[in-house]
Amino acid sequence: MQGVGVEQGMDFVPGGELTRRIREGDVSAESELIRQFEPGLRVLLRRRTGGDHGLLQDLVQETLLIVIQRLRGRGIEDPEKLAAFAAQTARNLSIASLRKTERQKTDVDSAVTERNADSSRGVEALAEDFEAAMAVRALLRELPQSRDRLMLKRFYLEDHDKEVICQEMQLSEAAFNQALSRARRRFRQILDERGFTKRDLLNLGP
Amino acid sequence: MNQHLIEQYVAGKMSEAEADAFEVSCVANPELARQVELEQRLKAGLTLVASGSTAEFVRSESQTPWKLAIAASVLLCVGAGVWFWKHLPGAHSQILAAVATEEQRQGTSMRLALVRGADSMPHLPAGAVRVEIVGLFDPGFHYTIALDRIGPAQNIATVATLYGQHPTSPVTLEVMVDGEQLDAGSYFLRVLKQASDEEALDFPFARD
Repeated sequence: MQGVGVEQGMDFVPGGELTRRIREGDVSAESELIRQFEPGLRVLLRRRTGGDHGLLQDLVQETLLIVIQRLRGRGIEDPEKLAAFAAQTARNLSIASLRKTERQKTDVDSAVTERNADSSRGVEALAEDFEAAMAVRALLRELPQSRDRLMLKRFYLEDHDKEVICQEMQLSEAAFNQALSRARRRFRQILDERGFTKRDLLNLGP
Repeated sequence: MNQHLIEQYVAGKMSEAEADAFEVSCVANPELARQVELEQRLKAGLTLVASGSTAEFVRSESQTPWKLAIAASVLLCVGAGVWFWKHLPGAHSQILAAVATEEQRQGTSMRLALVRGADSMPHLPAGAVRVEIVGLFDPGFHYTIALDRIGPAQNIATVATLYGQHPTSPVTLEVMVDGEQLDAGSYFLRVLKQASDEEALDFPFARD
């Protein structure tokens, strides 16, 4: 891996071992692969599906299916790079899906589409973001200082650099990070309390 | 270290090669992926909230006077409502009502949503219409829905008010509107979250 130095946790089985066990027909290794890879594939595909959670879920499942079928069959060249293979498969599928959508946009009879369109689909597809927005609203209501709300706005919505925000708001970077970390923690709690935490695919997560 | 990378990734500030490598780390490490997803959802939620209004971000810390004013207004409205209910003939008719029967659910409906840049206003069909208000609602709260009419001099008069409505889903609030009892003109449904200082949302429509 190049360019970024991520600190790895211990919550994963090495790709080589998963590859070997799946090739040997170990079904529990397939479940392990799904549990391990699904969150990361969601992250990767979320960036590429423009908030369409139905499409995101379809692509995650398709990716996992392709990876498992490949491992059951001829396997991959470098088993240690299983995660990289899964990530690239997901990227390829998202590109193919984008091309398909573009083709449909070009070929389509707009009048027919308008008649057949299910107007609720857009809303359904965005349901997960709506849940997040509700949690954000609750979070904003709870934040005691307007400074913290403004800080979130500048950082997440206006994409200002931390240094600039700290300078403008006369904050130390430590205080900024602490406030941000508090907001994240509370956001996660609110999602949990309201049952909005995304469950892993096939409920295989711990 | 990881948090910095997560922020860079979600903000789209990594190069393509860095983002690709980071994604591989996420696929290999579910705990890291969950942290990134939380950041993505926080950003998506903030973006969605800000797409309606940024008032929530700049709300004053001292809200007591506002809360008192709102409480006084609500009391005044309730008092006025009770007076009209008792004294005006025909005031009991249900211009605005909760959706109560399956027949109403299956009947004529109209969808209202806040659409940026929309150049036409929805038109209320004749008769009793189930109006589906699409927005961001909290199922844990009650909502007040007011039907307001915009007069010729752009003055606003409240025609009917319905309290204590529950959203049917996090994105839908339903109400029955009897178009037969409304004069032609411009109206809007004002949706207010009860026991909250959130701004009311206005959903305009026309009655021919």
